[in-house]
Amino acid sequence: MAGAPPLPRPDPLTRPFWEACRRRELVVSRCEACGHAFLPPGPCCPRCWSRRLAWRRASGRGRVWSFAVYRRTYDPALPAPYVVALVELEEGARLVSNLVGCAPEAARVDLPVRVRFDEVGELVLPRFEPAPGEGERP
Amino acid sequence: MSRRAVIAGVGHTAFGKLAGRTAWELEAEAAAGAVADAGLEPADVDGLLTDPGPAQGILDGITPHFLRLGAQLGLAPDFAGSELLGGAGSVAIVERAALAVEAGLCSVCLCVYGDSALSSPGSYGYGRGDEAAFGFFGAVGLHALAARRHLHRYGTRPEQLGAVAVAARAHAARTPHAQLRQPITIDDYLDSEPVVEPLRRLDCCLVSDGAAAVVVTTAERARDLGRPAARILGHAQAHRLATYTSPEHFETLPAARCGPRALARAGLGVADVDVALLYDCFTIVVLLQLEDYGFCKKGESGAFVEGGRIGPGGSLPLNPSGGLLAEGYGGGMLHVIEAVRQLRGEAEGRQVPDAEVALVSGHGLGMNTHATLVLGR
Ligand SMILES: [Zn+2]
Repeated sequence: MAGAPPLPRPDPLTRPFWEACRRRELVVSRCEACGHAFLPPGPCCPRCWSRRLAWRRASGRGRVWSFAVYRRTYDPALPAPYVVALVELEEGARLVSNLVGCAPEAARVDLPVRVRFDEVGELVLPRFEPAPGEGERP
Repeated sequence: MSRRAVIAGVGHTAFGKLAGRTAWELEAEAAAGAVADAGLEPADVDGLLTDPGPAQGILDGITPHFLRLGAQLGLAPDFAGSELLGGAGSVAIVERAALAVEAGLCSVCLCVYGDSALSSPGSYGYGRGDEAAFGFFGAVGLHALAARRHLHRYGTRPEQLGAVAVAARAHAARTPHAQLRQPITIDDYLDSEPVVEPLRRLDCCLVSDGAAAVVVTTAERARDLGRPAARILGHAQAHRLATYTSPEHFETLPAARCGPRALARAGLGVADVDVALLYDCFTIVVLLQLEDYGFCKKGESGAFVEGGRIGPGGSLPLNPSGGLLAEGYGGGMLHVIEAVRQLRGEAEGRQVPDAEVALVSGHGLGMNTHATLVLGR
C-alpha cells in the first residue's frame, strides 16, 4: 500500500453516513413517505420526491448483486487484484463497496455477505466479507 | 416534405495515435472534410453542434466546447451548442441538428466530435466520486458489473462476448482507415489480458485521437447539391438518470425505450434494419442492445452473435467499419458516418448489399444515456 486511495470528502448530505461508519454502524437513507431505502443519500426520495428522509440503521447483511474483479491497478494504494461488489442490503438499498476476506476466484453473485469496517486514512470504510459459513465455498 | 432532415456530408481524420496534433486541429480537419463532401462552402454553415470527447469536457471550467471550436472556425451560426451525454452525444447532436433544420432554426448544421484521448493519458481511468475509495475506476468497472450479471442470469459465456470482438476485427480488416485491422480468433480473445473481470482487454474499445463530422441539412438543399444524402427517418432519446445503485439499473438499457420509438417514427421495425451501427464501448453493450432493440429476446444475445451472424456477410451486419472496438473511438460519430457510407453505397470493400435502412445508436455515461437514429437511402 502506497498512501491512501482517493477518499470521499463528506458533505452535508453524506456526512451522517460516514459518521455512522466511524461508529461501526451502516445506515441507509429511508423515505418516511413511501418507505424506499436508498444509497447514496440525496436531497429527496428519488422515487416520490418527499423530503421526509431519515437515516435508518441497517443490519449490515446483504448479498452480492454483481461484482467485478480488478486485475489492473489504477491507484497504487489499491493494488490489484481486488473485488468491487454491488451489494444489495437486506433493507433493499444497494451500494458499491469491496468484497474482502475472500479470494477473487471465490466471489459469486448472490453470495451472502456482512459488513465490516476498515480504517483508511481519516475515514472508516464499509466493506463486505462472506457471511459466516459462506467462506470459500465454490 | 422539403424540410425533412438529411445527412449530406461526412468527414473524419485518421484515428489512432496522432501525437502532436491537438483535438482542435483534428476537429477542423473533419469539419472541412464534411462540408466539402456535402458540396458546401464554410460560409454556408449556419449551425454548429459539438460532442466534446472525454479528454476535453468543459474548458477552463467555463468555456463550452462549441464556443472555442466555433471561434477557431470563424463561425457566426444561428444555432449552436454542445451536448454532454457521454457516448450518446454524437448521435444526439445529429438528432438535435435534424430538429433544428426541420424547425427552420438553421439550414446547414455542422455536427462535430473530436478528441485527443490517446495523447491525453488517464482520461478514461477516472474514479467515480465517493466510490473511487473502493477502487471503482473507469467505465470498464461499471460495464463489468453489467457483464457479470448477464453471465450469471442468462448463462452467457465469455466466448459469446468474444464473438462480438472477433466480428469487429473481421469487419475492420476491410476498413482502410481502421485503427486495428488484424483479425483475431476466439482463442486470441480468451488469451487477452483480463482488465476488470469478466471483461478482458479485447472487450474494451480503443482509445483514439481523431475527429469526425457530419453535415445535416434539408432534403431540398441536399437535392441542389447533387450528392447522395442519407435521410433521417426516425430518432429518439431515452435516459435513466437514477444512480446505478437503483434497482432497475443493469437490467435493461434506455435503448429499450427509445429504440422502438425511433423505429416507429420511421414506420419501420427491427426486421427492416439492413445494417446496425451499435455503440460498442464494451462487447457487453452490444449484447444488451441486441436484446433491448428487439433483435433477439432478453437473455438470448449470446447465442445470437455466434456463428458469424453479426460478422461480414452475416444476416445482421453490425458495425461494418469495425466500430469502437476496432475502427477507432469516434464517440459514435464514426458510426453515423459508416451508416451514411453504407446507404450511399460508398463503403467499398465492406459494402452491405442493398443497404436501405441503418440503425445507429449512442450509449453513454454510467449506462445512463441513449440515443437512436434510423437512417434511410
Ligand atoms: Zn419516497
